[in-house]
Amino acid sequence: MKKIFSVRGILGILLVCSIFFASYATYYKIEHWGFSINPKEKTDVWTVDAHISFIPTGEPIEVSLSTPKISDEYKILSEDVIAKGYEISEDEKHMRVTMKSKPRKGLQDIYYRIMLYDNEDVTGKVRDSSVQQVQQPIFVDEQQQQMVEEIWALADQKEGKPAKKIIELLNQKPLPEEVDAFLPIKKSQRVMAEKIMFLLAVKNIPSRIVRGVKLKEKKRSASADLMLEVYEGSKWMIYNMETGVAGLPKNFVIFQRGGVSLLDVAGGNKSEVKFSVMKSAISSFKMANRRAKYENSNLFEYSIYNLPMLEQNTLKWLMIFPLGILIVVLMRNVVGISTMGTFTPMLIAMSLIRTGFVAGIICFGLIVSLGLIIRTMLTRLNLLLVPRISAVVIFVIIIMQMLTVLGYHYDFRIASSAVFFPIIITAWIIERASITWEEEGARNATKQIINTSIVAVFTYLIISNDYIRYLMFAFNEWNLVILFIVMLLGTYTGYRITELKRFAPLIKEK
Amino acid sequence: MFEYFKIFSVPRKLRAIGVLGMNARNHGIIARYNKRSLYPLVDDKVQTKKLANNIDINTPRMIGVIEHQYQVKDLMQVVGKHKEFVIKPAHGSQGKGVLVIKKYNNGEFITASGKKLSFNDVYQHISNLLSGLYSLGGQYDVALIEELVHFSDAFKNFSYQGIPDVRIIVYKGYPIMAMMRLATKESDGRANLHQGAVGVGLNMQTGKAVQAVSHNVPIDFHPDTGTDLMTLQVPFWREHLMIGAQAYEMTGLGYLGADIVLDKKRGPMMLELNARPGLAVQIANGRGLKEAIKTVDKYYPKNLTAQERVDFVLNYKK
Repeated sequence: MKKIFSVRGILGILLVCSIFFASYATYYKIEHWGFSINPKEKTDVWTVDAHISFIPTGEPIEVSLSTPKISDEYKILSEDVIAKGYEISEDEKHMRVTMKSKPRKGLQDIYYRIMLYDNEDVTGKVRDSSVQQVQQPIFVDEQQQQMVEEIWALADQKEGKPAKKIIELLNQKPLPEEVDAFLPIKKSQRVMAEKIMFLLAVKNIPSRIVRGVKLKEKKRSASADLMLEVYEGSKWMIYNMETGVAGLPKNFVIFQRGGVSLLDVAGGNKSEVKFSVMKSAISSFKMANRRAKYENSNLFEYSIYNLPMLEQNTLKWLMIFPLGILIVVLMRNVVGISTMGTFTPMLIAMSLIRTGFVAGIICFGLIVSLGLIIRTMLTRLNLLLVPRISAVVIFVIIIMQMLTVLGYHYDFRIASSAVFFPIIITAWIIERASITWEEEGARNATKQIINTSIVAVFTYLIISNDYIRYLMFAFNEWNLVILFIVMLLGTYTGYRITELKRFAPLIKEK
Repeated sequence: MFEYFKIFSVPRKLRAIGVLGMNARNHGIIARYNKRSLYPLVDDKVQTKKLANNIDINTPRMIGVIEHQYQVKDLMQVVGKHKEFVIKPAHGSQGKGVLVIKKYNNGEFITASGKKLSFNDVYQHISNLLSGLYSLGGQYDVALIEELVHFSDAFKNFSYQGIPDVRIIVYKGYPIMAMMRLATKESDGRANLHQGAVGVGLNMQTGKAVQAVSHNVPIDFHPDTGTDLMTLQVPFWREHLMIGAQAYEMTGLGYLGADIVLDKKRGPMMLELNARPGLAVQIANGRGLKEAIKTVDKYYPKNLTAQERVDFVLNYKK
């Protein structure tokens, strides 16, 4: 009991709590906001263009297009109509977009563009309990009636629902003689749909055509694709007319179904609608806010991901600090490396990220070496502390200036990274190195500089990793875990690794 | 390759002999027994000296203090008729900024190492000192002028130049571990072990050398003078321990290090106190501080006077 209420116990409990919290938050972000552990993961976004064209008759124009509706099958990224000079109105209830205009001349082009993502296969059932009337087909002659009966006889040898049987039969290869005779030579989607509907009507099964677009990359100016919906007692079931498979595949977007028309044009002739499809990939991370909107997630609005890009980038930079701090704590209190200034290595590592590794190291080495030479000269002047360090700061600025100018002049890129190093920190490194040099000799000074560089490089290697930076930004709740780890390390009383070496002489071998 | 790893020990073995690590010292001992508010008592040498004088602990006699720049020119008035003196920064550490004047005459000063300085040089030195050149963190400092210590000849051949001093670690008023620090050529007259000084562990009951180390390696002879270090015995041992024990009541610090030098005529004198003494004393003695601390907590009586505590330590038998 006593152990639980100790500082370490409380911190331990908080650490465990924070791990649970962070894990849940991570799960939540992945599940509801579509965040990914992999920064490179992309979401496919389909752009469907419906191009409406017609020739005006000289009367007022009213164009109406049936549009896809929000469904489980996909999410809508954006919807857009390009119709210059038209008055656009959307009827959300009936999922139609209407464009009106005064009489016009010449060929008219109207574009409707919709962008979809997260497409999924769904069952494609539509509940409808209204009684469906089937208009009994009228046979041209007895021969046709007989042919239909034979076809059904063949179909009944197959398994499954009537619609499936008949679609499979009509797509069978080679076609049975009877079916071949029944179908026209030119088998367009439209004709096939009508024939299937005819055959189903014979058996008193209601069916209807569904118009939409099959999502296929680089589809250009294609007519609407068709699927068939069959009424199977209180619900409409959608069928693929080529395979007989029931269900709405993820690559099919429905524009229109049932009695309504796909396109109505008043005041125009020769109207037609052609579809083009384009696929693009957008980073999953950027799609997160869209997804969150679908989830009605208020949390998202208060998250850092809803901020403008500039603020996000600043925060992205800050989010990596805790990890750098953790490394510093580990290096000092667990490993036991003494560095110049507590957070100096981390700040150098941060600068290295901006300058690039090799360029940064060379440049930093140059600045410190030049600074040390100047500082040695300052020693002789016997200046007081604050004016002396101030002089070093100004010298560092001058060195940076010179390196940048020289670098530019001689097209030596490395030098221009000089400006990224924190001036005050650099000056203090020079000051400390110089004092250590004077008081404890060159060996100790070099050792400290090397220690600082090792920790800086190590920190750099970890925080420069794009993947780690992405993770720390996308799943920033883990910073809370780092906080408690750091606090727990504050109660660590074990030996530092360097002490294992330092105190090794105390162990007497027996 | 394998040899390299041999220089590392395993935590289990260190724990078994009760070695105190830096983290354990900071977290378990200093944070617990040394109140932050007590630090100024030991960080300011003027204060330490005053406190010590109140309870008759021997320290180098204070001649005067220079607190402000305008007082620097009056140095000679402060020094008065003293023939020799030491200028020290009150907030300095590790002997930084200490100027020892052996002789002076008509504005010419001779330092301990025989260097000649003009009044201007000395003036400049004090001026720098006041601006915080030698104090930690560069805060404004005070110059302490005190009498010169005349080192006892007891350690004549044990140290290469420099000042040999005894460091005693005091826990809850009990002196628990001690070492003598001897300067070497390499340490440049300084007594810091990491700079190459020799550390000699001392027996708590006798003040005799237990073992000696240089750069963590046990040695028997001083690297420069060649003296057998095992023959070293600190005279006036009881008085040394008394200074350490009294420092506890004087400061209230539960864990402290007392630096003591031996004067020819006046005997052991407290030079300074340290609220966070280093851990090198363990290496010099070849035993762990944690073990010693545990023993105090377990077997040593509480509520004894300083004198009783020293007697207890001197007569303690395991």
